[in-house]
Amino acid sequence: MPADLAFDALADPVRRQILGVLAEREECTVGELAERITSIGRTGVSSHLRVLRAAGLVTERKAGRFRHYSIDPAGPARDVIATLQALFQGALADAGRAATATEAAATDADIQDSRSAG
Amino acid sequence: MAALLLPAEEWTDASPVTTFGLFGAGAGAGWVFDAVCDRVAAGAVVRMGAPLGGPVADQVEIIGRITEARPPSPARGHAGQGGRIEIVHDQPWRGRIKLRFDADRGGTRVRLFAELDEAGLEWLMRRRGLPAGHGAALNPNARLGLLNSKSGLGSMFGAATDHMAMLAVEEINAEGGVRGRPVELVVGDDASDPAVGVAEARRLVRAGCRTILVATTSATYFAVSRALAGTEVLLIQPHMNEGGGTGPLRVQLGEHHEGQLAAAVRPLMRAAGGKRWFLAGNDYCWPRSTHAAARRILPRSGARVVGERYAALGTRDFTQVIDAVTASGADIVLSTFVGADAAAFERQCHAMGLRERCVTLAPAMDESTLEHVGADAAPGLYAVSGYVEQLASPGNAVLLHRYREAYGRWAPPLSTLSESVFEAAHIWWSAARRVGADEPRLIAEAMRPGSFQLPRGTVTLDDSGRVTQDLFVTEATGTGLRPVSL
Repeated sequence: MPADLAFDALADPVRRQILGVLAEREECTVGELAERITSIGRTGVSSHLRVLRAAGLVTERKAGRFRHYSIDPAGPARDVIATLQALFQGALADAGRAATATEAAATDADIQDSRSAG
Repeated sequence: MAALLLPAEEWTDASPVTTFGLFGAGAGAGWVFDAVCDRVAAGAVVRMGAPLGGPVADQVEIIGRITEARPPSPARGHAGQGGRIEIVHDQPWRGRIKLRFDADRGGTRVRLFAELDEAGLEWLMRRRGLPAGHGAALNPNARLGLLNSKSGLGSMFGAATDHMAMLAVEEINAEGGVRGRPVELVVGDDASDPAVGVAEARRLVRAGCRTILVATTSATYFAVSRALAGTEVLLIQPHMNEGGGTGPLRVQLGEHHEGQLAAAVRPLMRAAGGKRWFLAGNDYCWPRSTHAAARRILPRSGARVVGERYAALGTRDFTQVIDAVTASGADIVLSTFVGADAAAFERQCHAMGLRERCVTLAPAMDESTLEHVGADAAPGLYAVSGYVEQLASPGNAVLLHRYREAYGRWAPPLSTLSESVFEAAHIWWSAARRVGADEPRLIAEAMRPGSFQLPRGTVTLDDSGRVTQDLFVTEATGTGLRPVSL
């Protein structure tokens, strides 16, 4: 079962970190990943990517000299990670809108106050 | 905590101070910012309803504690000190949510980092109907099942349950496991729904568990017991219960409701200075049978029942129940609400002024739930159980030390509902190590009769599995449940 392999793959904190970066950036090259994950070098990142690919968590796309990596859309973790990411992003967007509205209301009240004071 | 890190980011033209101030204000600012907490300060319990969807389509409560809250400095437009909020949570998975508020381009850059551990990812995948982990047992480990409530109303009291089971299994394995095989804990989630509980119990059985600790409501325990009738699987109910689940492969360890009532009725009448009781609770088997027991037991102490009401699981407005209690002139409410419903009921009793004329006895109130009742609504609330976190016993001191060492100062409090799972695992082991983990019938036979020295004290099982243990009447305070003699 890919799911069982997936859990072995996820047992490593660096591999979870790679997935986190891919969840944020959609697609990365090994070099881009190595820039973000400074605890290991490019070779380390490459070997972790091999494990993640074997577990069906990450896919590879070749374009010229570069290989681009992304979370496998058909992989077992994609759905969950994407859902959670969307939930948290949506919550922040709601908070941002509410903050704008709160500040606008406070400013309106200030204007009202200064008018009635005048 | 090494975990999968999910970042999110948003910019708003409002100031950091305004944006930070929305957290916990209930201002309709999205599910994260509309977190429910009494104050935004380190140590405060917090819960947020994540609209997660999935096969069990309802919202999932993330329950934890604020571990850091630093408001942004008011300086606007330049690099003043940013604000930060950090939440560590145990339900439905162990994780951390960090919020950062930084002045940026005349507004605020809000960032969120959510950490998710392996168990959390596994839980979420299963929740969304994806296959995840723990296939049929291919390894020689002895598997012990735990059915817990990680969402729904039971998630409040289930907070420390996984931790307690893990701690017990670590101790068991340090002592050599079962006949040289390490014990592996496999956890299922009933989502506080008996039908989900049955499906999860079957999954645990497929994974090779021959014993399941069913740490859920009695409604799930009985549903699982019926579904697994005729299979060679031992079910152990660690929690307080109404009995009735007997059989060679059924063991109910928790406090029996008749014993709880017998211990608490007279002390409560002394505390209240009255003998009129109102029975109020959730509408399922444990509250109904506990009320029936109260109608048998109360008259023996000269008490009178002046009213009774039920509310569906998940009720959040108890105005009708509280109005009925007020109209009845009751001195004492026997509350058989559980989990989140119990917390909401007690808060509303306090808010509506009922506490001034009436005390509550809540046999299912535990420290995890009490944290959500809050310090203001705690006075006048009493409970009765075989264990409380503040119990002064040498065994409990050792347990608390190990628990805090393993899970840290922000982990949820222990209570009879989580500690009993630790004890159930140890009682199971004391039998399984003699007869083997794959002999559920022999394990059950080896458990009873038996006498066990546990953190709560001595627990005795007779031939028929009837449990004897000391029970404590406790009063609720802002810091937990405290044994009292009334």
